[in-house]
Amino acid sequence: MTTPRLTRRRFVVGSGALLGATAVRPRAARAQARRGHIIAGLSERMLTLDPANHYSISSTSVLRHVYDPLLDVTNDDKFVPALAESWKALNNTTWRFVLRKGVRFHDGTPFTADSVVFTLKRVRDNTKLIKSFVYQDIDDVRKEDDVTVTVTTKRPFGSLPAHLTMLGMLPPSAGGNEDGFFAKPVGTGPFRFTSWTHGDHVELEANAGYWRSSAPKVDRLTFRFIPELSTRAAALRAGEIHVIDRVWPDMVSTLKGTSGIKVHDVPAVEAQRWHFQLAREAGKDPRVRKAVSLAIDRNTIIKELLLGYARPVVSPVPPGLIGHTNLGQKPYDPDRARAILKQAGHQSLTLDFVLMKDLYPKQLEIAQAVAAMLGDVGVKVNIRNLEIATAREQRTAGNYDLFFSGWAHMPHDPDWYFGQWFTKAGAEKMTRFNDPRVEQLIAEGRVPDPKVRQQKYEEIQKILWEDEPEIWPYYSVAIYAVSDKLRNFEARRDYYVLLHEVAIA
Amino acid sequence: MRAYLLRRLWQSAVTLVGVSILVFVILRVIPGDPAKMLLPEGAPPSAVEALNRHLGLREPLWVQYAIFLRSVVRGDFGQSFQYRSPALRVVIERVPATIQLTLAAMAVTVLAGVPLGIVAAVRQRSAWDYASTVVAVLGQSLPNFWLGIMLVLLFGVTLRWLPTSGFGGWLSLVLPSVTLAAFPTALVARLTRSSLLEILGQEYIRTGRAKGLGEPRVVLRHALRNAMIPLLTVLGLQIGTLLGGAVITESIFAWPGMGKLVVDAIFFRDFPVVQTILILSATIFVLINLVVDLLYTVLDPRIRYG
Amino acid sequence: MTRVARHPMILLGGLILAMVVIASAAAPWITSADPLKPSFARRLTPPQGLGGTAHPLGTDNLGRDILARVLHGGRLSLVLAASAVALAAGVGVLVGLAAGLIGGRLDDLVMRLADVQLAFPVIMLAIAIVAAVGTSATALVGVLALSGWVLYARTVRAAVLTIRETDYVEAARTLGAGNVRLIARHILPNTLAPILVLASSQFATMVLLESGLSFLGLGLQPPQPSWGLMLAEGRDYLSNAWWLATVPGLAISLVVLGANLLGDGLRDLLDPRLRQ
Repeated sequence: MTTPRLTRRRFVVGSGALLGATAVRPRAARAQARRGHIIAGLSERMLTLDPANHYSISSTSVLRHVYDPLLDVTNDDKFVPALAESWKALNNTTWRFVLRKGVRFHDGTPFTADSVVFTLKRVRDNTKLIKSFVYQDIDDVRKEDDVTVTVTTKRPFGSLPAHLTMLGMLPPSAGGNEDGFFAKPVGTGPFRFTSWTHGDHVELEANAGYWRSSAPKVDRLTFRFIPELSTRAAALRAGEIHVIDRVWPDMVSTLKGTSGIKVHDVPAVEAQRWHFQLAREAGKDPRVRKAVSLAIDRNTIIKELLLGYARPVVSPVPPGLIGHTNLGQKPYDPDRARAILKQAGHQSLTLDFVLMKDLYPKQLEIAQAVAAMLGDVGVKVNIRNLEIATAREQRTAGNYDLFFSGWAHMPHDPDWYFGQWFTKAGAEKMTRFNDPRVEQLIAEGRVPDPKVRQQKYEEIQKILWEDEPEIWPYYSVAIYAVSDKLRNFEARRDYYVLLHEVAIA
Repeated sequence: MRAYLLRRLWQSAVTLVGVSILVFVILRVIPGDPAKMLLPEGAPPSAVEALNRHLGLREPLWVQYAIFLRSVVRGDFGQSFQYRSPALRVVIERVPATIQLTLAAMAVTVLAGVPLGIVAAVRQRSAWDYASTVVAVLGQSLPNFWLGIMLVLLFGVTLRWLPTSGFGGWLSLVLPSVTLAAFPTALVARLTRSSLLEILGQEYIRTGRAKGLGEPRVVLRHALRNAMIPLLTVLGLQIGTLLGGAVITESIFAWPGMGKLVVDAIFFRDFPVVQTILILSATIFVLINLVVDLLYTVLDPRIRYG
Repeated sequence: MTRVARHPMILLGGLILAMVVIASAAAPWITSADPLKPSFARRLTPPQGLGGTAHPLGTDNLGRDILARVLHGGRLSLVLAASAVALAAGVGVLVGLAAGLIGGRLDDLVMRLADVQLAFPVIMLAIAIVAAVGTSATALVGVLALSGWVLYARTVRAAVLTIRETDYVEAARTLGAGNVRLIARHILPNTLAPILVLASSQFATMVLLESGLSFLGLGLQPPQPSWGLMLAEGRDYLSNAWWLATVPGLAISLVVLGANLLGDGLRDLLDPRLRQ
């Protein structure tokens, strides 16, 4: 082979290439660093590709890879910029967002204030969309310039930024033909949509032009929907998938015992809540509620049934959210419970304990344990484990005494929880809760000022803690199991499986 | 015969309309609110009401049915409440997986069950007979989720010979079809055995034997044909069960079939999908039974339909 | 009686079934453990075997003794399954006879009704029934029977159609035998065999169906220890506490074995044309 002569032309071209290579090296390096295919097994199937048309935690998690919202929430509960570089409440009913520059959708069109205006107005105006009711308080969305948007609301909407973490931004072109758009949607996210087989899996591929250089770290992403936990775990143990969510405490030891798998757990932003039917004989009487609360040994439930994968509750709002405070743990005192019941004249009480089938880990076990505990203080419990639709109808009709439920604070803001369950209008067809003081405080807590909100929510919770319209037995813990081939996986408190920054070895 | 056929076809049509009406009414009468299932637990009642109106569920029942019929005639079975996509498309997407699983399970059933039954009958009271009884017992009594999970743990996790779940390729079909076939195989084996035993004892078979035809020919030609009748009955019904009742197997193996689709849709109150599946499966069912009834006449000329 | 003795299957099957029935009925005397009371300290203890230990078959996810639960549960499950099979068979045979004998319009109507009902998954029927009358043992038996009657009707009808045309039945008819005689003398004995075989296999189906329904919240409610519920509760522990689901599964297997042997033996015994 002859050595090529170093001609002038070659030199220039060569140096140019060298310089050019230097200039593009970060990009090339990023491209080189991005490799591999991660497969995740999720417990809940995705139902739609439209970020405004669902309230499923799992769908939010998947769609977060395709779309970006204006802001994100970190795992330590801070709101951080995404497509909005900054946001500020100008007054109680006005929010201003300054947008990030230079972002493009997957089809090349630029992301501007027009997208924000379109996305917000769409979700507010199209009342067929599932998320629509949340945004009814929006009065106007105004584009100030290409990177500034002002949102005015009809009444104070302090939780707006939190809600916006769950709303992916759409290009205005989606408006013309929505069905066509959502057949192959484009967003600004770290991954592009490739395909979706209903009820089976979603395929995504990397977006090389993502505005954050640290993401994505893999070429392809597949989310498989495997609702059956034993199957999900088996697939992980067999090396067919790399990460699973919603692991139950009893599965942990098997998974830990399999080589190549790591188990992560983290306290979730979820509090279990068993609410009383306040219009029925048992729930109406605060003494009965107090006695029931005293008769339940929460620590045993946490330690023995949940194997320690739960935390004691110190306030209805879990840690990390605005409003969390420490009101001490509820005591376990069956003797006192018996005394109170005797005094109140309820010595042979029967309670209907309604559960929604398969919704919460080990709920049936826990309910049976509670039934035994209440049996010890003379209360008979009928467990009714019903399918979800029937259970909810029974709740609306008020046909229950205690209802097994939980509340995962998605978005990361307690305003929705309080507004739904502790205002007269919200609770009317549910628990029939009605306390004007609490109602007033909830309204006052809607302002954007975090200090005011914290104070109002603390007051509300003091009242509820004393009144006990609900039992809060424990905070849930989110458990994930991951192949040790994955790097940088973060176990999230909000049950999302986010793989933007995760690499595979 | 032709009169019979026409009559049966007419009745099939009536049956299908009956099924559609019944499905429609039952769905709307049982408790459970589709809007509530779509909206999160904390949605205000006004949102629930608005969504129900959007979904057309606040019209009078007969109006809803009329609208439904009119669109069905055009091939439009409505929009799935869950997926916001045409219900027919959602259902048809599941057809390949369902057919594969059903056919595979039926193949296992026939290929394993019939020979087992034949051997047990021909070698009655022998070790073969008792062995087949044991197999039949196991097949019928093992809960299919137990079998499924155990197979997954053994072949998928420990040995890693087969995929643990999912739809794709021949290998992934093995475990689910074996799991699904366990019960029907046992049933078919026992039925084959008992039908054969009956026939083997009958007059005309003994006549055949007396005529000097060899044993195997006697068995295979005459006996099997007549033993087929109750067998066909069961197989026909099993197809229906396999199609709609494979939900547990489909759940364990994350198999995207119609069994799981219809159960999920019922729990979710996704009316259009439930209606579509039930009408389609009723159609198939009615057709299969018609075919089975016709096959009766082929197999046993003594059966006549007046 | 001697004929029965010549069919060891009947004896064996009957014996097994009797053992299970007696054991279930005698549950409180066999073990004093409480099938309903949880004990958190003793969760998920593996089977200890015999020899005077506290938990020969282990404890479940709430620390309850499994032996006690499986025996007490036997009472529930056996009665439920037997009632359901009896109801299904009774209704199915009647309908099948009517359809086969009377034929014509009735036959068509009934078979089409069966088609319509079969198009509905059991779950949907179960939800509808439970919505109307709530969850209870009666509702459960109703649902189970509803899922099973068609098999009997179809089989009996097919047998009737075959037999109706045979020579000796024709002869009997010309001799003036009325329908009832035909049924009693010629048709029933011939249909009895498949019915018995079906009934004995359906027994297991009913128990497993009960499991599925209880599992979905449409059957019995916890903490009742029906085998179905035990299976359902044990499902989540297959990889780390196999005995929770395996013990009721074995109980079901025993019952199925006994029922099958009994059914086959009875078939051999009662078939008028079978000669050994």
